[in-house]
Amino acid sequence: MASLFRPHHNVLARLSLLLLAGGAVGGLGGVFFYVRSPLARGMQDPIEQPIQFDHRHHTRDEGIDCRFCHNTVEKSPHAGIPETQLCLNCHSQIWNQSPLLEPVRKSFFEGRPINWKKVNDVPDFVYFNHSIHVAKGVGCVTCHGRVDLMPAVEKANPLTMSWCLDCHRNPEKNLRPVSEVTNMEWKPEGDPVEVGHALKEQNQVLTRTSCTTCHR
Amino acid sequence: MSHHQSAGSERRSGALTIVKRVDPPRFWRSLEARSRSPELIEASKGEFPQGADQLADEPSRRSFMQLVGASTALVGAAACQRPNQKIYPYVRRPPEVTPGNPLHFATAYSLEGYARGLVVESHGGRPTKIEGNSDHPDSLGATTALDQALILGLYDDNRARQITHRREPGLGPEPAAWRSILVMIAERSEKLAQKNGAGLRFLVDPSASPLQADLRARLSERFPQAKFVAFSAVAAEGAALGNKLAFGRPLETRHDLAQAQVILALDADFLGDGPEQVKLSRQFGASRTPGPAMSRLYVAEPCFTPTGMLADHRLRLRGSEILALAQALVVELAKQPGLDGLAPLAGLPRAAASVDARWVAALAKDLARTRGKCAIIAGRRQPAAVHALAAAMNSALRNVGATVNYATPLAIDGGVEALRGLVEDIAAGTVDTLVITAKNPVFGAPADFKFDKLLARVPLSIYCGMAEDETSAAVTTFVPVAHSLESWGDGRALDGTVSIIQPLIHPLWSQVTDTDVTAAFLGEGDKGSHDLLTTFWKKRAIGSGWATDVSFDGLWESWLAKGVVDRTAAQPESGLATNPGALAGALAPLVAKAVKGDSIEIGFAVCPKVFDGRYANNAWLQELPHPVTKITWDNAVLMSKATAARLNVETGDVVRIEAGDRHVTGPAYIQPGHADEAVTVALGYGRTVAGKLAKGVGFNAAALRDSASPWFARGVNLARTSRTIRFGITQDHWDMEGRDPVIVATLAEFHKEGSHVNEKLEQQRRPLETIHEPVDYSQQPYKWAMAIDLSKCSGCNACVVACVSENNIPIVGRENVRIGREMQWLRLDRYYEGPVEDPEVVVQPVMCMHCEAAPCEYVCPVNATVHSDEGLNEMVYNRCVGTRYCNNNCPYKVRRFNFLDYHKEPSHVDKMATNPDVTVRSRGIMEKCTYCVQRIERKRIDARVEGRKIADGEIVTACQQVCPTGAIDFGSLNDPGARVTALHADPRRYNLLHEIGTRPRTAYLARIRNPNPELA
Repeated sequence: MASLFRPHHNVLARLSLLLLAGGAVGGLGGVFFYVRSPLARGMQDPIEQPIQFDHRHHTRDEGIDCRFCHNTVEKSPHAGIPETQLCLNCHSQIWNQSPLLEPVRKSFFEGRPINWKKVNDVPDFVYFNHSIHVAKGVGCVTCHGRVDLMPAVEKANPLTMSWCLDCHRNPEKNLRPVSEVTNMEWKPEGDPVEVGHALKEQNQVLTRTSCTTCHR
Repeated sequence: MSHHQSAGSERRSGALTIVKRVDPPRFWRSLEARSRSPELIEASKGEFPQGADQLADEPSRRSFMQLVGASTALVGAAACQRPNQKIYPYVRRPPEVTPGNPLHFATAYSLEGYARGLVVESHGGRPTKIEGNSDHPDSLGATTALDQALILGLYDDNRARQITHRREPGLGPEPAAWRSILVMIAERSEKLAQKNGAGLRFLVDPSASPLQADLRARLSERFPQAKFVAFSAVAAEGAALGNKLAFGRPLETRHDLAQAQVILALDADFLGDGPEQVKLSRQFGASRTPGPAMSRLYVAEPCFTPTGMLADHRLRLRGSEILALAQALVVELAKQPGLDGLAPLAGLPRAAASVDARWVAALAKDLARTRGKCAIIAGRRQPAAVHALAAAMNSALRNVGATVNYATPLAIDGGVEALRGLVEDIAAGTVDTLVITAKNPVFGAPADFKFDKLLARVPLSIYCGMAEDETSAAVTTFVPVAHSLESWGDGRALDGTVSIIQPLIHPLWSQVTDTDVTAAFLGEGDKGSHDLLTTFWKKRAIGSGWATDVSFDGLWESWLAKGVVDRTAAQPESGLATNPGALAGALAPLVAKAVKGDSIEIGFAVCPKVFDGRYANNAWLQELPHPVTKITWDNAVLMSKATAARLNVETGDVVRIEAGDRHVTGPAYIQPGHADEAVTVALGYGRTVAGKLAKGVGFNAAALRDSASPWFARGVNLARTSRTIRFGITQDHWDMEGRDPVIVATLAEFHKEGSHVNEKLEQQRRPLETIHEPVDYSQQPYKWAMAIDLSKCSGCNACVVACVSENNIPIVGRENVRIGREMQWLRLDRYYEGPVEDPEVVVQPVMCMHCEAAPCEYVCPVNATVHSDEGLNEMVYNRCVGTRYCNNNCPYKVRRFNFLDYHKEPSHVDKMATNPDVTVRSRGIMEKCTYCVQRIERKRIDARVEGRKIADGEIVTACQQVCPTGAIDFGSLNDPGARVTALHADPRRYNLLHEIGTRPRTAYLARIRNPNPELA
């Protein structure tokens, strides 16, 4: 009787073992890469907001500083989303009939806040503080990306703990003069490493990696 | 075989029958621990008591699997979605608000007529934490445990929301609108005004509020025959009456212990009760630093109180026997040179009781020695005779004007006697309209008044209360009112300083206040309390020349900002003198009338947790271990061991107490140091109409209270019933395994070079040999550390509630406390020392020691508890998988485990009470004291943004901030000028369990007692 398994079955068996192992590694590796991917992190996914607010127009065309609207960024953990009143400080004069701004006027006259969708969110057990980062020369663009080029704001960075720690361990490459924090196009003059070290000294940057720095 | 051989050899010998004799430990926390009860030793072996890891309601395996299955499925589902969060910015942002940063507002809270200044932290418009106002004379920056718990009282879901009205007493209540109540009051007051207000009565809370006084004056103009009766179930009636006897007019007593060297407390818990509690604690705490100026405290009381626990000499006496002590003291004082003016009082017939003559003689000498710098304080429960004698002695000792002052009362005083007149009027049928703003008088009134039955005879009774209670059930009209943190008002401190009470939040439910209801009788019920208040104060400010019509607004803002109104303190009376001869004549009949009888004496106590029952629905306070007994969620019949033995009663036995035709049943608790042949029961429990937490907690001792003797009564019978209960007592959990965790010495021992205690202190802090080189923290910017002075801690519990409030610590309930699941990060260990009958007490606050060589860290398999660069022992909740190894390895037993999901599905109002700076922990997480790291990090960021270092004293932990005696200090050891650095170098400093080499960052300062050498 002919044997049940032929020599070529050996190849098949080896191949299937390989596939099995490869599949396991590949599967795990896939998960490993997936959770780190922009897709899983929700990056590069412009969020539709209740109002088609265009940062490009306000910052580039009008040259408004980030801190004009996000005006608690230097003194509070939160950068601050502007109150309706602040929008209407200008828009009661200009574009005051624009249908695009109808939700703003409605909010103001009804006394109901505009329901913005959160784009950059960290978990509730993370106590991120904007004021200290701005005070030490971490630019808006470093974490939020080129908001000045975004028609609708999207998440530019993964905001994972390892991403935070990368900078907390080696902050030099992300520092700039405190006067340039809102500048979207600032580039270090000269050797970035040297400039970074000098800025760390100048801004008295003492990054910490103890758990309670962010988790309390 | 001698009985000295070790337990091991006993086991080996097998047939050994000799019972090993064990000396009781020097310090013990319970009678079981003292006798080394086998059950207790067995129970304390594990990291948690037996059964702590079982679910309280024992679900079946099937339901468990369902739960697990469901939660797994939900976890999976939740992980697939990106959380969709919204941001709601302001429409118009108030200029003072910076989202993310808290605001602090000064306000005040009135209890028993007197206000204490508070500063309340507000996050995004919701008050989250109470602090003291350092500008306020009766706060000085600290508060009591009760003040701390106001936050939870505000967000109490059981508060009433609907006005109800019965058309006639006896008919069912119907919902009503505030408008219709206003109309009804307007019509009624029209009729009442025509008969000059005859039949109109106001039963009010004792109050020193100027606005209320003004309203009363205006009401008296409109209704000349209307009467105002103040009532509080726990009013200090004896003081006013006694001072009237002593000085000829009713005066109230103020104390100033800043210079006091010898203090005698006659059943006066001045460190745990009363409007001056915080101020006197601060002054007394300052006087407890060992040295030539260290004060000495004598206390005579029936049952331990925080004051008694700090006493240098404590005499246990039944409450009614304090009079005999005061009399014996007068006799002894009269013998002292220069005090013979007291002789007429010494000739009074003596109240029957035997008092330790040696004790009294030594005390008298001590008082005479420190005349002008001593103080005799009589407690709220004591009768007029004791207060009068205290006044006479203070006067003779030239203390009046120095340590003790008397002043015209600011509050209308209320109590049992004040209520009696109203009761008689109602019984006579002459009352047709009764407005009640007093706190739950049906529950608090003496039982013989049968006040609930009487209310049925009043055609219209309007009650203003925060929640449905026994009184709201008995009146015709119930008006739910706003919380103090939601309303406008004013109040005065005992020294007269006025504070404006400003709301921290728009009323959650009812917007009506007591003031509105009272003002409705003047036709101003719809004006609103803010309007009434500003109108009144504007008139007064302009009338007093403080402001003009234009400048008033600025002045008003400054009052609100500071929390006190300047120049309103009322001067005490000067040139007061007692006439001992005349006083003796007046006292003779009172002494003759004093409580007599041979049977057991019952004493009613003000509860340091629920007060008179008004805080019974407050979970923070109910779960708070009682300062002395450490019982949670219950009151008890406290008695001495000898009395319990005579009655054949043990702790937990339910006893029936009979007084005349009334009786209650409650569980007995053997309290070391309690006076013999007496029992103490706390008021405020056994509420029948109350929120869901208060119902069924404890028994109502007030059911035994008689108006003739509201505080102490004899002629009660006690008998054991067949029932027993198990208390939820925190102090029996965890055993210190026979080590001496507290170091106690007398001042003389401490000052003696090389004495035993100094050797021991040295031993408990000297460097130990280590295998690993200790981490060097000296190069870090900060090295956080704490110091706790045991000589100052009275065990008043304020720190425990402050910690709960600051750190979002869950409440677990009585069942869970019984099995050791209490979550409070800070516990107050109470150690007895000496004989069971009459021990001394040391209180030791214990929280995470932040050991430099922390045993918890070595055993965590997931690195969930690690060290920070500055030496904090950090707990990383999101890494914790709940192995609980860390708690098993913690020698101090300061870690707490969330066995259940205590924060599951919080209501909207529950959420509002939480501190947003601290993570709300879920089930299965270990947690513990963090040294209030959220406060450290906030200050660090503030300082770093400003480019400077954190100054000493800038970071104040929650427990430190609230501590009235100033027993807790916090700071950086790397700052040579910091207070905590000096305290760590103090000769009294020692480390808890130093020998095991944990190098704790929290240091203790030994408890030094200052006993009278004559009584040694």
